[in-house]
Amino acid sequence: MEIFTRKKKLKKYIRPFAILTLFIIPYLVKAQTTTPLINSTLDGLVLDSLTKEPVAGAIAHIKGTTHAVATDVRGRFNFVTGQKFPYTLIITYLGYKTKEIIADGSPITIKLAETLNQLNDVVVVAYGTQTRKSLTGSVSTVKVDDIRDKPQATFEQQLQGQAAGLQISASTGVPGDSMFIRIRGTTSINAGNDPLYVIDGVYVNSSSLQTITTEGQADNPLSDINPADIESISVLKDADATAIYGARAANGVILVTTKRGKRNTAPKVSLNTYFGAAWAPKLWDLVTGPQQAEIINTMYKNSEADAIAAGNATAIAQYAVQPFRALTDNPTASPAPRGLPQDQQTYDRLHDAFRTGFLQNYDGSISGGNDKTTYYIGAGINTQQADLKTNDFRRASFKVNIDQKINDIFTIGTSNSLSQTYRTNARVGDGPQGGVLQSALHTPTYLPEVNADGSPARWAGFDNLDVLLNNTNMHSTSDRLISNFYLEAKIAPDLKFRSSWSIDYNTYNEYQYWDSLTIIGIANHNLGTSSISTNTVWSDEQTLTYSKNWGKHTFGVLVGNSLEGTTTANTTANGTNFPNDSYTLISSAASTTASATEAEYRLSSFFGRVNYNYDEKYYAEFNLRADGSSRFGANNQFGYFPSAGVAWRLKQEDFLKDVAVVNDLKLRGSYGLTGNQNNINDYASRGLWGAGANYQNNPGTLPTQLANPNLKWESTRQADIGVDASLFNSRLNVTADVYDKFTSNLLLNLPLAVSSGFSSILENAGEMSNKGIELNITSTNISAEHFKWTTNFNIATNVNKIVKIPSPIVAAYAAERMVQGLSMYTFFVYKQLYVDPKTGNAVYDDARHDGGTLKPTANDIEADGSALPKYTGGVNNSFTYKNFDLNVSFNYEIGNKVYNNNAYFLEGGGTRDANRAIDTRQLTAWTTPGQITDMPRLTALGDNYTISPTSRNIEDGSFLRLSNANLGYKLPHSLTNKIGVSSIRVYVSGTNLWLLTKYRGPDPEVNVSSSPTVLGYDLGTPPIPRTVQIGANVTF
Amino acid sequence: MKKYIYIIPVILLLGACKKFLTVEPKLNVDQSQAIVDAGSAGTATNGLFNTLASSGYYGENFPAISYLAGGDIQWTGSQSDASDINKHLTSSTNGYILTAWTTIYETISQANYIIADVPKVTDPLFTTATRNQYLGEAYFIRALAYFDLARGWGGVQLILKPTTTPADNTGIPRSSLADTYAQVLKDLNTAETLVPSAVNRNRVTQKTVWALKARLYLYTQQWALAEQYATQVISDATDYTLVTPYSAFFANNAVATKESVFELAYTVSNTNGHSTWWLPPALGGRREWAPNTGLVALLNNPAIGGNRSALIAQTAPPGNLWYGQLYYRQPLGTDPAYVIRIAELYFIRSEARAEQGNLSGSLADLNAVRARAGVPASTAATLSDLLLALEKEREVEFPFETDRFFNLVRTGRAQTVLSLPDTHLYLFPIPYSQTLVDPELAGANANPGY
Repeated sequence: MEIFTRKKKLKKYIRPFAILTLFIIPYLVKAQTTTPLINSTLDGLVLDSLTKEPVAGAIAHIKGTTHAVATDVRGRFNFVTGQKFPYTLIITYLGYKTKEIIADGSPITIKLAETLNQLNDVVVVAYGTQTRKSLTGSVSTVKVDDIRDKPQATFEQQLQGQAAGLQISASTGVPGDSMFIRIRGTTSINAGNDPLYVIDGVYVNSSSLQTITTEGQADNPLSDINPADIESISVLKDADATAIYGARAANGVILVTTKRGKRNTAPKVSLNTYFGAAWAPKLWDLVTGPQQAEIINTMYKNSEADAIAAGNATAIAQYAVQPFRALTDNPTASPAPRGLPQDQQTYDRLHDAFRTGFLQNYDGSISGGNDKTTYYIGAGINTQQADLKTNDFRRASFKVNIDQKINDIFTIGTSNSLSQTYRTNARVGDGPQGGVLQSALHTPTYLPEVNADGSPARWAGFDNLDVLLNNTNMHSTSDRLISNFYLEAKIAPDLKFRSSWSIDYNTYNEYQYWDSLTIIGIANHNLGTSSISTNTVWSDEQTLTYSKNWGKHTFGVLVGNSLEGTTTANTTANGTNFPNDSYTLISSAASTTASATEAEYRLSSFFGRVNYNYDEKYYAEFNLRADGSSRFGANNQFGYFPSAGVAWRLKQEDFLKDVAVVNDLKLRGSYGLTGNQNNINDYASRGLWGAGANYQNNPGTLPTQLANPNLKWESTRQADIGVDASLFNSRLNVTADVYDKFTSNLLLNLPLAVSSGFSSILENAGEMSNKGIELNITSTNISAEHFKWTTNFNIATNVNKIVKIPSPIVAAYAAERMVQGLSMYTFFVYKQLYVDPKTGNAVYDDARHDGGTLKPTANDIEADGSALPKYTGGVNNSFTYKNFDLNVSFNYEIGNKVYNNNAYFLEGGGTRDANRAIDTRQLTAWTTPGQITDMPRLTALGDNYTISPTSRNIEDGSFLRLSNANLGYKLPHSLTNKIGVSSIRVYVSGTNLWLLTKYRGPDPEVNVSSSPTVLGYDLGTPPIPRTVQIGANVTF
Repeated sequence: MKKYIYIIPVILLLGACKKFLTVEPKLNVDQSQAIVDAGSAGTATNGLFNTLASSGYYGENFPAISYLAGGDIQWTGSQSDASDINKHLTSSTNGYILTAWTTIYETISQANYIIADVPKVTDPLFTTATRNQYLGEAYFIRALAYFDLARGWGGVQLILKPTTTPADNTGIPRSSLADTYAQVLKDLNTAETLVPSAVNRNRVTQKTVWALKARLYLYTQQWALAEQYATQVISDATDYTLVTPYSAFFANNAVATKESVFELAYTVSNTNGHSTWWLPPALGGRREWAPNTGLVALLNNPAIGGNRSALIAQTAPPGNLWYGQLYYRQPLGTDPAYVIRIAELYFIRSEARAEQGNLSGSLADLNAVRARAGVPASTAATLSDLLLALEKEREVEFPFETDRFFNLVRTGRAQTVLSLPDTHLYLFPIPYSQTLVDPELAGANANPGY
């Protein structure tokens, strides 16, 4: 029976924050054992008021006593007490409104209502936790429940569209490939833009160890982590939140906390499974054989006419005879006759290369604890087939987290994740040899797959598709241990010491074998490569925290130090000249070569934090970290990274205290410095000579790098102003931030005049600016007895600008350049203004202002948009109706350009002749005077199809994607109880179900390269699959 | 609980340890340890040959930009860099040009280190002969590198000291073509006194130096000296001779035959990837470069190509595509790079003699090469006929080597013979990226027309 629900102003020491609460329970229980008198026995059940699900781990506490118990996995609790009925129970549970209820007899059922108020949510921050209301920095949290069951290999991908200012772009449809991730923009050119990942206190490597090329994206090492083990994810964005991570925090920090057992709870078993299918929703449209023949013939005819007009004798001869003519027609002339266009066949390789992939997942966990020990044991198996053939992903993972309270002073604990990820790979992306998608997409459709003698046909440098699909033998195994051990000592009531030892150990074992039917195999009489890489990141941190209340003053101090080392090593063996295809290991090869590399770097750091608040009204925080890195020379080895943040909770002021519509209002401001030194060579500051430059089997050495003893950290200063508001009974929560990030001392490979013998030197030379606005709105639209609808909307805009760069840098893919005053990932092209309706010739912008009399030259290449989106974000709706739940997530990017490099190859106006397939869009080429089109007349002469890159291939890559929809049904509690199960939920879900875009390729969310300087480059990249799956979540 | 406080200072001390932050590389050595004794001087010299033979220079790129521009090759691949050179549309952003320019200057830089540091080495085990050999080789290779820059790009910046900081070797203006050739001669003269005389076709000897001198004098039209140095090599007939048939210098895995005056060697662990571009897919290549119809006709003409038809072969029906097979050693990658062959010295002497009026001597040298190829003797009787005959002979003698384009430019005949749209193509462009980083190469200092 409910008496009343009181809105309680929680004092700090009883706020329902799991660890603290759990700390208290043993004392409470212990106190109770001294009271042997039994006056009443109470059996209780705690349910969620909306879903009627049992609430496990809620704390029931008898008012006025220290007696408290926790509910078990079925929501049950039991009091045997000296108290007589009636007495008042107080039920508290994280995320729910605290409830007081009078118990007057057993049994009792208590319904807890979820709190809409996020103020007291516990947020994981650097080296600790804080309540949301006390944050001075900008931190986004992602509720793992909202993103569960997405069939994606990596937790990062599940974060797409979930947090404002966190841009996550998938690069390919291959599961477990690396992605483009930015927190508040791109701050660096060379030193890495990935955030720092910290999982349970372990600094986790996020750079791929892959060495055997798949000609495109690299494997993503974070896909070794099973998302099902994750409890919460915090995204630290501003300087106040990140500066305590100092030298590695400039790109933001992602803190991942995995699940742990709860004290005094019965074992909770949770099982999840799904099965699904993945396929490419859209592919390219290629012309038929006869169409390609006509296009090429037309190109010959037009070229000959142009050559005659220009008096170019060589070209006249070259284009005099059209290749697609009757076999008997002038058979000795060059090019040789290939038959009339109408006689050509059409061979569809593209659809052969794609498939409907199968997805399955099984994961399970058991967790619980007594008053001293808690445990979480999880295991999972996940397999995914890509939409493009021969790319498979399999992960088996095992997780153990244990915490043990030794006595009143010491607690120890450990977090361990052990996983194995196995991939069968294929070459996707760039490069003709061995490229599955290149072979399927780029081989002209009129060319047969087999020769007249039945042998596999290879055309234009591409491998035979069937050979690749059946004979590709590339695979990798990643064995990963992420492990942390800590010791915590409560030296005094307010003083805590913590020592934390971590390791991220990864062995990455790759093999490739190209047999005698592949071009690489032919070239090498078969080729085998074995590459074994290891990466070890170890760290050792000690922290001392002190916190104290004096009346309205709350004061906290943290000091610590950290030692860290990273060692990477690789051994590669290569074998060529094998006896035959049956021998696939390198021992069988006649020629073998091997190499080994090893590198190490270390960090030594000291850090501290002071925070203070007055009456939960005014907050201030100050952080400082000093980092020393072995990567830098003696002159600048240490970097210092301070930050400060303040917050003012206006709601606590008298003028707002009684304004009912405002439940909370807080202003935040922060300013600070963070650093970056990722991705640069471990010995970047040294002048070096290297070996391996051999001659006649004698060892040779040569200079490899110029010294730069002054090399130092990239440093990013960031100012942030934010507001957090909670309105209308906390049904509308708004967080908005404005930030200004300015990065100086960019580590740039400054081009040197190569006449010096060196192409570049790493120097601190550039400046980059990122300014942006983020808005996150969470709204409980409807919260009725049986129906609840919440919406999260987030949007972020970031303006990136390269403020200073000594000279322009051409990216790894040359259509992108880094130029002072423009943003990163700006495309530089010959701008096609229009196709002259009279002549059909492309008219290019004469940027050089030479009157257009000359052929467009390199100087006419000009900027034409950037691959960076102007806006990114997501819209997530979740509905609950009785036992049904529905989650619908959209994500979007607006204003980004994509360089359609496939179109560059496939829309070559026939000039690529028999070397490339042709896209159907080529059929729109100009043919008759007066025709308005942007596809110029087919000719090999002039500039129509002979210069590149052109703006014809720059396309708008904006999109809105229905990234996920998940419809679930919870079996009625009455039913599940009978079979001894506390909850069964079945669901059907899908990802990438709908895509709105103007982009002509299959998907605008593409990127051929994991190079940090390349984005939005579509070349041979398999599109993101559409998936549909069914699954079940069971707990008992 | 004060007793736990002692943990803190211990940890702070540990962290402060400077030694902790000193991590030495294992794969590399510090530049101060690079050339310190006889052994390291030797490895640095091997490294110099390695760069000279690397794919950016004689391994692939430099011969390629020469023959791709030389009118006898058709491009069938996807790379626009190769295509542009082939179609005489070369622009300053061409990657092949940049690679060649870069690698040639890297070669020069390495030679500069050796020239600067090897004399300073004090090592009792370092004999004078060995020290001289390393130095002489460095001088010769620097000479060859500047010669190649001069014939490709005209007068260039003369970098003669090693670079140890980014400020070194900056602000040096381009020298004139004559001064560049003068530097080549100066280095060759120094090398001549240092290198050994015993025959070695894969390293540098006196004969190697003389052969390059002959070529240098031909390019600078000092006919008597060209003839003299050509003769000095040709007259050593026991060591240097036109091997018969033509294919004997490359076919059947031949290496370092008597044909070669200077030939760069490759091994299984230091491979030459040149064949990849030439061989058809069935033989493991990409056949992006192939002999064009005109060259196929010339080589297959018994009266013109003779047994030089061995340079090309045809794929199986129905393809019947012609491909070049001078570089063919797949998968071993041990095809040598041919830098100077004795046949070229005959041509040099032939031309030098003709220019000096010794027409019969000239004809004899021309016909020596023709006889080896199994084609009838030429009857050219005038200076112009002989020059024309030599021009045509080089086309079929060196179609896949670093020869024809530079000689057509040297004789001023390239525009006519290759139908070049403009004579600015006589010089390769200064790479665009270099015009951006080096004011001495920017604007009017760049090669005109690009």
